[in-house]
Amino acid sequence: MKAFLRGDMMLLREIADESAYDRHLRTNRRVHSGAEWRRFLDERLARKFAQGKCC
Amino acid sequence: MKKIAGRVLWALVSLVAAYCLAAIAINRGEPVNSFWIVLAAACTYALGFRFYAKFIAAKVMALDDKRATPAERLRDGHDYEPTNKWILFGHHFAAIAGPGPLVGPTLAAQFGYLPSVYWIIIGAVLGGAVQDFVILFCSMRRDGKTLGQMAREEIGKVGGFTALLTVLFIMIILLAVVALVVVNALRGSPWGTFTIAATMPIALFMGVYLRYWRPGKVLECSLVGFILVMASIFGGQAVADSPTLAPWFTLSATSLAVATIIYGFLASVMPVWLFLAPRDYLSTFVKLGVVAMLALGILFVHPTLQLPAFTRFVDGTGPIFAGKVFPFVFITIACGAVSGFHALISSGTTPKMIAREWNAWPVGYGSMLLEGFVAIMALIAACSLQPGVFFAVNSPPGVVGASPAAAVSTISNWGYPVTVADMNSLASEAGEQTLFYRTGGAPSLALGMARIFSVAGRSTTGGGRTFLGFWYHFAIMFEALFILTIIAAGTRVGRFMLQDLLGHAYPALKRNNWMPGVFATSGVVVLAWGYFLYQGVRDPLGGINSLWPLFGIANQLLAAIALCVGTTIFIKMHRARYMWITAVPLLWLVCVTFTAGYEKIFSDQPRVGFLSEASHLQSAIDAGTMAAGQIGAARGQIFNDRLDAGVCGMFLLMVTLILVDSVRVWWRILSGTRKAQVDESPFVLSRLQTEEL
Repeated sequence: MKAFLRGDMMLLREIADESAYDRHLRTNRRVHSGAEWRRFLDERLARKFAQGKCC
Repeated sequence: MKKIAGRVLWALVSLVAAYCLAAIAINRGEPVNSFWIVLAAACTYALGFRFYAKFIAAKVMALDDKRATPAERLRDGHDYEPTNKWILFGHHFAAIAGPGPLVGPTLAAQFGYLPSVYWIIIGAVLGGAVQDFVILFCSMRRDGKTLGQMAREEIGKVGGFTALLTVLFIMIILLAVVALVVVNALRGSPWGTFTIAATMPIALFMGVYLRYWRPGKVLECSLVGFILVMASIFGGQAVADSPTLAPWFTLSATSLAVATIIYGFLASVMPVWLFLAPRDYLSTFVKLGVVAMLALGILFVHPTLQLPAFTRFVDGTGPIFAGKVFPFVFITIACGAVSGFHALISSGTTPKMIAREWNAWPVGYGSMLLEGFVAIMALIAACSLQPGVFFAVNSPPGVVGASPAAAVSTISNWGYPVTVADMNSLASEAGEQTLFYRTGGAPSLALGMARIFSVAGRSTTGGGRTFLGFWYHFAIMFEALFILTIIAAGTRVGRFMLQDLLGHAYPALKRNNWMPGVFATSGVVVLAWGYFLYQGVRDPLGGINSLWPLFGIANQLLAAIALCVGTTIFIKMHRARYMWITAVPLLWLVCVTFTAGYEKIFSDQPRVGFLSEASHLQSAIDAGTMAAGQIGAARGQIFNDRLDAGVCGMFLLMVTLILVDSVRVWWRILSGTRKAQVDESPFVLSRLQTEEL
């Protein structure tokens, strides 16, 4: 049950781009800040919404 | 011993699947419990996944976990990132699941439940899931290339360019038809309109919250947004009960269409972080939550299907859309059985996140089976309504009569009894002024879902049917929320495609920060789908009759393009003896879509054929039998019919081009006049450690 809930939480964080943000900080050796989040989000969303949503 | 136990288990699963499928098919006269359908789908999908998909993975694709995937080789922490297979499964499913598997089966229920059940089960196992899996595999072996890129490289430049154009046109039809579904659901509904209107300022609030107040806290922000949206449902009830506020939110279909067009334009030009992104996060979470709730609700309530296995409308005289069960059930249910749009997702983000090659098996094939399950659930929800109620909600006034009394008389004469009192009572329980003529599928689906949720809620909490109104508007909110997100995202993507295309002639248009260009291209895209939406709203037959088949044909033709790419790659991989895996569903889709396309253009029945309706109206004008006040609208309808016939013909022509191009490539390779060359990325040994996932 615990593993199932942990898996669900990981999925929600992936969909929410929170895991991607953690990876971004880790890969680029940066620390979290409002400006860093905005930089990450702008790049991420530009790619994400270059593709249509499925019907 | 374990092997024998496994064989016995799968033999049992096969027997249960066969028994349930036969029981559903043979049963006549007695109502069928939805449990049989759920069991038939679950067992067939399990067999398809375990045997057919595994056979394709092992023998045809030769998936190899030793081979490094693009996620590992090109890892950048952004797009390319090895991801746990179950997380990716959920991510991919969230991306492919849209309104299609919910609305399509609801509309197709006019034929009865049986054709839809069989098509969703068999179509998903042999067609849709195969297409998604094959395209995911092909893209994964090509560093995550898109369907368009693969079509250009594997088939040829003509095929690639045609695929690109097809996607743009399909997007326009898709946006128009889903917008029509929302407009029809909210027409004359102050409760629903207020709830959906309230999601706009909520999304703006979430955008600012996420960017400046709590940067990075997407889940927290989405939770706040969800609480506000739920509050707006209760607010909507108060608005509907208020004699002062209710008229402000009681809008006609035309007003709602204009509002949706303005919404699409604004969403396309506004910064994505401010509106679209927070809305997208929220709608994805709500979508996953509601799908899970519906699954639990159906398992708990297991409603009896009220619609018969076949209705009288298999002969093509259906009130929701005209056309015989073949080929129209197969194009009405696209998502849920076979959807070409999925190929765009399978060649988008997902192939860049696959950690090991064998993960493509559950992600590509399994996700589509789950979507098939969503379609089955939507069908059950719709078919659990009384047939008379189902047709009263879904039939346009142009078919059943312009007054409630005329409508119930027509529907009762079809053999599906319903009374005005029944409909008024149901509307009152659902918190609506009326439920007549609510075409588009969304209201009847919402009614079916609301009934399941309220029965489940009553059983668990002891509450009564008073919750029906809340659950009905919750379901409408859920459908409208993600449909409007699709409209916002689709308009934006259409704008990008148009900017890219026109940028060759006028380079400034390619710049995303040149606002005149952004405004102009957004305007063109919005007007394109807005025109089809407006035509649907004005159509006396409800709009769905002309637009949904057009969308279904377009979507299935995109699937045909994807299967052409898959077959070409199998042949180039020296797997020609297995080409039937993609070629058989391709052949089926070509038969279905070309038959449907031909009938939509040339059928001599005015409700089916676009040209026939145009000439029928023209004859009435010429003969002077049409009232003077109707001539203007009829001329508009004639133009729209000819336009729709042209669009349908263009789709067929474009796919014919790709088909001919593909067959030419296959013939040359198989006859030995062209060398079969595979354009896969070179083999690199994987060094990915299990703990990294």
